Amino acid sequence: MDSNVLASYQLVFQTDKGTVYQCDRTNRLILSFWGTNTPLSARDFSQFRRMVQTVNIHQMALSTEAADEVEIFTLPRLDRCYVLTLCEILHLRELLNGAVFTLELNSILRECGCSTLSNQD
Amino acid sequence: MKDLERLRTLIKEPVELVLNQQIQMELISSSKYLAMAGWCDRNGYDNSAGFFYKQSEEERNHAMKLFHYLCDQGATAYTPEVPAVTQEFDSLRAVFETVLEQEIAVTDSINRIIGVCRREGDYATEELLKWYVKEQVEEEYIARRCLELIDQIPADQVYYLDTKLASVTYDKNPFENE
Ligand SMILES: [Fe+2]
Ligand SMILES: [Fe+2]
Repeated sequence: MDSNVLASYQLVFQTDKGTVYQCDRTNRLILSFWGTNTPLSARDFSQFRRMVQTVNIHQMALSTEAADEVEIFTLPRLDRCYVLTLCEILHLRELLNGAVFTLELNSILRECGCSTLSNQD
Repeated sequence: MKDLERLRTLIKEPVELVLNQQIQMELISSSKYLAMAGWCDRNGYDNSAGFFYKQSEEERNHAMKLFHYLCDQGATAYTPEVPAVTQEFDSLRAVFETVLEQEIAVTDSINRIIGVCRREGDYATEELLKWYVKEQVEEEYIARRCLELIDQIPADQVYYLDTKLASVTYDKNPFENE
């Protein structure tokens, strides 16, 4: 864990390109990708994931237009954006899908009345 | 680890998805009925036109009920795309045949959503959808009854047919006043 990651951050999912943490103190999911840490509410996280999921990567792959080489993702409620190439979008999808898998598992455990995931386990 | 998604909303993603699709379907129904109202109006079926104007409003209300439910419960409702619908029909019978087909498609869709609710253990949304199940029993009944009337009433009694069609109701819906 690098030094700017707070102690309250719990690891949700990690790839060699990025990490998703959850902070139970602030109820935020933290997307750590492309050298930036972006805290997102559950709603903004799912909206952002939808954006990343629905971008037409086939068009990006087949097109020769300069405008199709990158896709711009504006982060909800933040004056920041990611400008990503096709390859980076695929990395981001892998990261977000992995994170959702962990979050859903945590949800299922809670529904069953089992103890939820934690860093201590 | 807190379940942030559950804290945000009662509605799970697969249910949110199918409810948004249903909103679109209801608004497409609304648009189809408005086109039918226009066709009836142009062709002198004043009473049937009135019936379809009202029906178009009702379908919009069906969509809005789901739209508000999603918003109220912390999920996201999306304003859907409504594609172009048929504006011209061969006959009044063709209009009502389209109605019955559309209502059957809606009933099937509601049933599928209830299947999703059960799979996801979402009993609240299932409860809400019971209203739609009841509504569809009524809508299918009315469409079938109208087609019967078209068959029963001689073709030259246009005014009588138009009046009868617009007055069809389902008074003895067994699901009402349980
Ligand atoms: Fe409807
Ligand atoms: Fe209907």
